[in-house]
Amino acid sequence: MSAPDVVVVGAGPAGLAAAATLGRHGAAVTVVDEQEQPGGQIYRQPPAGFTPPAGSSPAGRALLAEATAAPGVRWLADTTVWGVLGTRAGLDGYAGDQPPPGRYRVATHGPVGVRLLEPRAVLLTAGAYDLPVPFPGWTLPGVLTAGGVQTFVKAQGLLPGGRFVLAGGHPLLLVVAAQLVRAGARVVEVALIQRRRDLLPGPAGLAAAAGAGGKIAEGVDALRVLRRAGVPVRFGTVVRRAAGDPDLTTVTLAEVGPTGLPVSGTDRDVPCDVLALGYGFVPSVELARQAGCAVTWDSPAGGWVVRHDEWLRTSVPQIAVAGELTGVAGAEQAEVEGRLAALGVLRDLGLLDEHRAVTLARPVRRELRRRRRFVTQVLDRFAPDRAALGSLVTDDTVLCRCEEVRAGDVRRALRANPHLGTANAVKLVTRAGMGLCQGRSCQPGLCQLISTLTGRGPEQVGAFTAQAPVKPVPLRALAVGDEPPAAD
Amino acid sequence: MTSYDTAVIGGGLLGCATAWHLARAGNRVLLVEKDQVNRHASGQNAGSLHFQLEFRMVEHGDDAARAAARALPLHLDAMRAWATVEDELGERCGVSRTGGLMLAETPAEIAVLDRKAALEREYGLDVAVLSGPELRRFAPYLADTVLAAGHVPGEGKANPRLVTPALARAAGRYGAVLRTGCRVTGLHRRGRHWELRTGTGPGDTAGETHLADTVVLAGGVWTAELAAMADVRLPVFPVGLTMSATARSRPFLPHLIQHVGRRLSMKQTEDGNVLIGGGWPAKLVSRAGQVDLETNPELRYESLVGNADAARVVPAVFDLPVIRTWTGMTTLTPDHLPLLGAVPRRPGLFVATGGSAFTLGLTYARLLARMVVTGETDRSIEDYSPSRFGALNFV
Ligand SMILES: Cc1cc2nc3c(=O)[nH]c(=O)nc-3n(C[C@H](O)[C@H](O)[C@H](O)COP(=O)(O)OP(=O)(O)OC[C@H]3O[C@@H](n4cnc5c(N)ncnc54)[C@H](O)[C@@H]3O)c2cc1C
Ligand SMILES: Cc1cc2nc3c(=O)[nH]c(=O)nc-3n(C[C@H](O)[C@H](O)[C@H](O)COP(=O)(O)OP(=O)(O)OC[C@H]3O[C@@H](n4cnc5c(N)ncnc54)[C@H](O)[C@@H]3O)c2cc1C
Repeated sequence: MSAPDVVVVGAGPAGLAAAATLGRHGAAVTVVDEQEQPGGQIYRQPPAGFTPPAGSSPAGRALLAEATAAPGVRWLADTTVWGVLGTRAGLDGYAGDQPPPGRYRVATHGPVGVRLLEPRAVLLTAGAYDLPVPFPGWTLPGVLTAGGVQTFVKAQGLLPGGRFVLAGGHPLLLVVAAQLVRAGARVVEVALIQRRRDLLPGPAGLAAAAGAGGKIAEGVDALRVLRRAGVPVRFGTVVRRAAGDPDLTTVTLAEVGPTGLPVSGTDRDVPCDVLALGYGFVPSVELARQAGCAVTWDSPAGGWVVRHDEWLRTSVPQIAVAGELTGVAGAEQAEVEGRLAALGVLRDLGLLDEHRAVTLARPVRRELRRRRRFVTQVLDRFAPDRAALGSLVTDDTVLCRCEEVRAGDVRRALRANPHLGTANAVKLVTRAGMGLCQGRSCQPGLCQLISTLTGRGPEQVGAFTAQAPVKPVPLRALAVGDEPPAAD
Repeated sequence: MTSYDTAVIGGGLLGCATAWHLARAGNRVLLVEKDQVNRHASGQNAGSLHFQLEFRMVEHGDDAARAAARALPLHLDAMRAWATVEDELGERCGVSRTGGLMLAETPAEIAVLDRKAALEREYGLDVAVLSGPELRRFAPYLADTVLAAGHVPGEGKANPRLVTPALARAAGRYGAVLRTGCRVTGLHRRGRHWELRTGTGPGDTAGETHLADTVVLAGGVWTAELAAMADVRLPVFPVGLTMSATARSRPFLPHLIQHVGRRLSMKQTEDGNVLIGGGWPAKLVSRAGQVDLETNPELRYESLVGNADAARVVPAVFDLPVIRTWTGMTTLTPDHLPLLGAVPRRPGLFVATGGSAFTLGLTYARLLARMVVTGETDRSIEDYSPSRFGALNFV
């Protein structure tokens, strides 16, 4: 058992910036990340022994250097936080050893097994993951997420196929397509669901959204790379179907009409062996929800986001959030939020007095406001049209890949049980969301389908209850628990 | 204002089964559930069908065990009810009755097992204590540390995901009116009727009043709160419980596993997940100093670890990842006996809760429905009557 001042969950831009700020002001920080290397999604580093791929970002290198140099920061790599326990009021006298008042138990699993950390404050910077969009064939081998493809290229220097089609509704697609082209891949087409006229003021704004402001250059550059390589970028185009047996061989693309729905008669089959999908991101709020932090539905920001105050503190005392958990807004904003949340934590822990915290926060807030204005504008333009995407689903479409629950199963379950209409209730009767991924890959699609079928809004449909362990933990490790002396 | 023969409050297994029995007998039934059907204990439990006495009943010595054994006639009734329920409903609910084992790992535990079996046989339960090669043959998956096991052939499991919704649909087929998202906020005797008021909390339907000749309280941990609406105090207490589920794996565990010396229940579902529970506590959450029944209890680290450790008796389980845990609440009574029957001095008010009301719920429901319709039951339920707590109500 170890008792740092602050546990930061996630070593992406938000977590790194927070750790640097916290450490600099005298807090004892433990940063936990399930990856082998700090950096998060965007600054993901190749494992030792690999040469960093072209284009690894200077901003990322600077942030990593700042965080590694900060005093008082301990890194727990390859370690998953599977629960934050002890956040609820209530009596629990018979539980035995209790953490001192004001401390939570952050439950981790890593190379040394299950360990508890008992910090005075927790900062959740768990980032986001690709929005899964179900449609016929989306579970075929060869259908990947754009983020996943990028990870292959960035972290391992690998190309996962020969002929790539990229499809979706997020500007990251352009960036990934350009990265693929640079890495020597054959990109057949990039298909964006938004119609060009809906994206005005033009491709620059589009490109800027990839990681938020400061990305304009990267986006413009990406478009230039694609144009030079002769890669068609088609707007108003959606992927309706992926086919192949057993692996992907063809995708069917169609034009999108003014309602956002595919126009019949415009289907085109395009041969490829990798389809990279990028419809945007879903904030990883499961740990925050498990800890009891209140969330709100904000579709353009990615779905369920964590509610917070002006210091990024959540509804649960001593738990703050930063980065994508407050709404998907990209790496630069994540970094700024990480600094602000850290100042808030330092202030709450008494490591910064009120005046100093407010003073230090002033320029950070100014920058945050500037970025938010920009990001909001971009976000709205790229917000997924969930109802239109939902219409791609047929009865045969697998919604929950872990438990192989199809849309037709859900439709039938709701017809047989007309009194049911929440994500939890449908999960219970169909098993959708009960598998290894804990519903990360089926929840958005399933909730959309329930909404469509019952006419209930996202708040009424709700989300699956977030349970510990938010990621699987071996039973053997749990049975031993935190017993042996901690490695430090 | 619609008038019903019976209003059943609570859309868990007990409420839905009672509504089914009543509607089938021709009663005009209203079933009121404040959330979604099967949302609470009935959809959160381990699905064990255990007819032996449980660890919690034998851990406090022979006298306590003997007192708890007074519920055994209900266990035997429940065993029969589960044998036929799928046929009666016309659909599968994951009922499997391939037998259950209660394990002993020390000589002292074997002694408890033997005394327990003798007590259970007095009530007519078919139980055998297996050991040695016989036990290994029957349950080759057990760890070497297991020395003996009480075996009851009719034990097993049912699927809590499926049973209650199936009962709700069956009740509906016989004409029961099902109202979900509808919270009962008032319960008053008006002349020959009971008047139910339903509230307008968030997500609830608009406030309404309903009349019913009889009312069945099937409110699980909310039973005391509901009874209080009718100015009756019932000593039922919420306890928080913990469950863990592993990833799916090939079928290797055909039996229900319990332990006579520690908290453990374990089974493999037909989907392949192993469910581990057995009474590990979860922390009741409070709001403004009061237990908050609307919030799931909080997971306790000690319970999770203890529960995982208890699973050692089946080593193959140790190779599986735990993919989720959950908590729920169930009701206990001070004497571990069910609370079942008519509420004294409240004509037409009936209640059932307490004990392992997944296993026993079908039996409670059948007996309640019979009382409502005919005014009597086919077996004595005096031992479980709310009248034993009459002193709390100056009766
Ligand atoms: C796959 C992917 C690719 C992307 N590519 C680009 C891009 O090319 N350009 C761009 O501008 N933006 C990109 N983005 C967006 C960008 O990554 C984010 O805007 C930015 O990284 C957000 O920073 P963050 O600190 O909030 O989260 P992240 O950078 O996502 O960091 C979160 C970290 O938390 C860790 N974590 C999460 N949960 C746990 C847990 N329970 N226990 C332990 N550790 C945990 C993760 O391993 C991760 O390292 C991408 C996003 C994704 C998901
Ligand atoms: C984790 C766990 C594991 C368990 N394992 C087992 C097991 O293996 N075997 C076993 O036999 N038992 C087990 N139990 C116990 C068993 O689950 C319960 O005894 C049983 O489900 C109770 O059913 P019920 O219908 O009485 O209650 P519930 O299922 O709780 O239903 C009561 C319903 O009443 C509704 N209600 C309450 N107040 C109002 C109101 N004012 N207006 C409208 N509606 C209202 C509630 O919303 C609720 O849905 C377990 C319990 C838990 C929590």
